[in-house]
Amino acid sequence: MMKMDAPGDAIPRFVSRMFDAPALKRLTALQREEQALQFFRQNGPQLQPLLASMGIGGAPNWQETVAQLVREARSLADSMLEKEISRAADERVLYIFLPALGTSRPPSATVHEEIKQLCRRSANHPVARLALAGSLSAVLSDVTDKYISHIWERRKYTFMEVARVQRLTMKAEEGADLLRLALLVRPAAYLHVVADARLGTEAGYAPVQEAALDRAFPGLRSQLAGTPPDVVRMGIRSALSFQATPGLEAISRLATILALRGRSIAPAMVVDRGADSPDKSWFNVARRNAAWRGLDPRMLDELYSIAAENGW
Amino acid sequence: MKKIGDFFESLVVVVIIIALVHTFLEDFSILAGWTVPARRWIIWAGLAIDLIFTVEFFTRLYLAIVQGRAFDYFFRERGWIDFVASIPLLLLNSLPSVLALLAGAGLVSGMGSFLNVLKVIKAVRIARILRLLRVVKLFRRIRYARSVLAQRHIATITTIGVTVLVAWVLIANFMGGLGILPGLDKPFLSSQADHARYLAESGAGTAQVPARARALAAFDPTLLVVRPTGGQTSWTRFDDSYYATHFLPGDYEYFRLNGVEAFFDGRPVAKAAAREGIVFFVAILLVVLAYILLYSPRFALDITDPVHVMKRGMEESGYNLEVKIPDRRAQEDVFELAGLYNRMFLPMKDRESASQEQASALGIDDIRSFVEKQ
Repeated sequence: MMKMDAPGDAIPRFVSRMFDAPALKRLTALQREEQALQFFRQNGPQLQPLLASMGIGGAPNWQETVAQLVREARSLADSMLEKEISRAADERVLYIFLPALGTSRPPSATVHEEIKQLCRRSANHPVARLALAGSLSAVLSDVTDKYISHIWERRKYTFMEVARVQRLTMKAEEGADLLRLALLVRPAAYLHVVADARLGTEAGYAPVQEAALDRAFPGLRSQLAGTPPDVVRMGIRSALSFQATPGLEAISRLATILALRGRSIAPAMVVDRGADSPDKSWFNVARRNAAWRGLDPRMLDELYSIAAENGW
Repeated sequence: MKKIGDFFESLVVVVIIIALVHTFLEDFSILAGWTVPARRWIIWAGLAIDLIFTVEFFTRLYLAIVQGRAFDYFFRERGWIDFVASIPLLLLNSLPSVLALLAGAGLVSGMGSFLNVLKVIKAVRIARILRLLRVVKLFRRIRYARSVLAQRHIATITTIGVTVLVAWVLIANFMGGLGILPGLDKPFLSSQADHARYLAESGAGTAQVPARARALAAFDPTLLVVRPTGGQTSWTRFDDSYYATHFLPGDYEYFRLNGVEAFFDGRPVAKAAAREGIVFFVAILLVVLAYILLYSPRFALDITDPVHVMKRGMEESGYNLEVKIPDRRAQEDVFELAGLYNRMFLPMKDRESASQEQASALGIDDIRSFVEKQ
């Protein structure tokens, strides 16, 4: 016997159950939202009768129903997002890298709140919200810790780029902490980007113009007063293309790659027999498309090797 | 209709398993010296099983004819296995055995029809080997591999392997019968034949026959009965009730020379044949199990798994896992193809999908399932 919801409850209940579906359950709020929106767009004709059986679809036309579903998905994602932003800013970014940057004083009391505020601002912007999906997913997962520790251990290209070229002498955990902060700042680089229908969800990962970032930098710097300006710069410069930006900081290059990787991280993914591991597969494809995506191919080669060696 | 079909298929699998157990027990009962009543049940069960498979074959053939695919059924879907493992066994093995039982079981005295049946049984004992083909029938019906290709491929090589083995055993037995390839029972049977000739030398009706039988019985414990052809027993080791409770038709070796009939105990030969039967049965089972447990996973790793990964990558826009290519197999055709898929297709797909809408990880079935649960 199918239970019919009150008309006002049906859509929130449907979207909530959708977010809890096994295929989405372990994704971050923004990943779930993205998946849900794609699903609405792609499965309209099949979805319509199913929703009608749940008492959804009373709107004058299907487009209006979809608009309601999209609004509800966004609202639900927003309610979940707040907790994720707090967890990312409070628990995953500890500012332990500050001494390595030459800052002896401890972070100000408001520094975490500033980062959260920036993330909220990004979440309210259509393009920056897309960028935030990958960043949050990467920060909340273990991807930064596990790769940084191996990069530091190997002392090869990426480490040399950080330590010798960028002149950052720090421990692996400090490097991972810095990288996570850069990842959280990164979406702010898209706050002035206008949504482009042609790019779709790629808009949050497409390289931006350096000049535009230079213009946005002072504003961001004042918003993140407690964060060293260099770190803010590293964060937003991770939206630049490696090929088009000579001297791009190593941390920024790494943040770009991990933000993109974070976008497609699926913790519960079942790997088919005969298939390679998710990270290895992703890095291998990414290194072949490095120039096209504006990524550092040598860094990708190293990350690919780490993934291959560890069966990730 | 589908449910009836599924039920029928499940029933056939159960009967095949019973048939395989029966095949083993038929030989084991001889080897272990089971009682005649128990072995009689086994013979009746053999008839029932052969009848069921005959009905199954005709049913499948009829349905195939109605659907206009009789040729496909018989030659491509291995209907010939259904045929060979049913009708010849019914006509050449289980039916004659049951007729022999009905004709008087182990009673030897004065049973003309029994003797005819006995000859038939001896002549067609070889056909029993065909029962081993049922191993193929079983593994053809059980789904042990995810991929249709793997299932079909393993079924094909299993059929070839088992059929070649059975055919060779059949030919070897025929050759044994013709004396080209004598079996281990040859000296035993030759000795009985010599003794039968000795008994017949004096000719039927003479008083020498019972005397020779008595003398021979002292050092040939397998001599059971001697009599003139169609006549009264001249000499017997046991009375009829003993034969009835200790012998089945297939347990005798029978010779008729110069008007004298001699019955010998054929159980040692039957035991040797049963031992051979069990050895072949186990060998065939092991071959099939080796194909399924050892070769099937190998085939999956080398062929169907990479193909499955590539198929998903081509069908699903959000599936971007590469095919795992073992270094030492990179030169093999499938892995060369997988290499192209990894190196060219996936990066191209990644670029292409950047300009297109990605598929959602959610499928319409996910939604359907929770709508239905509500």
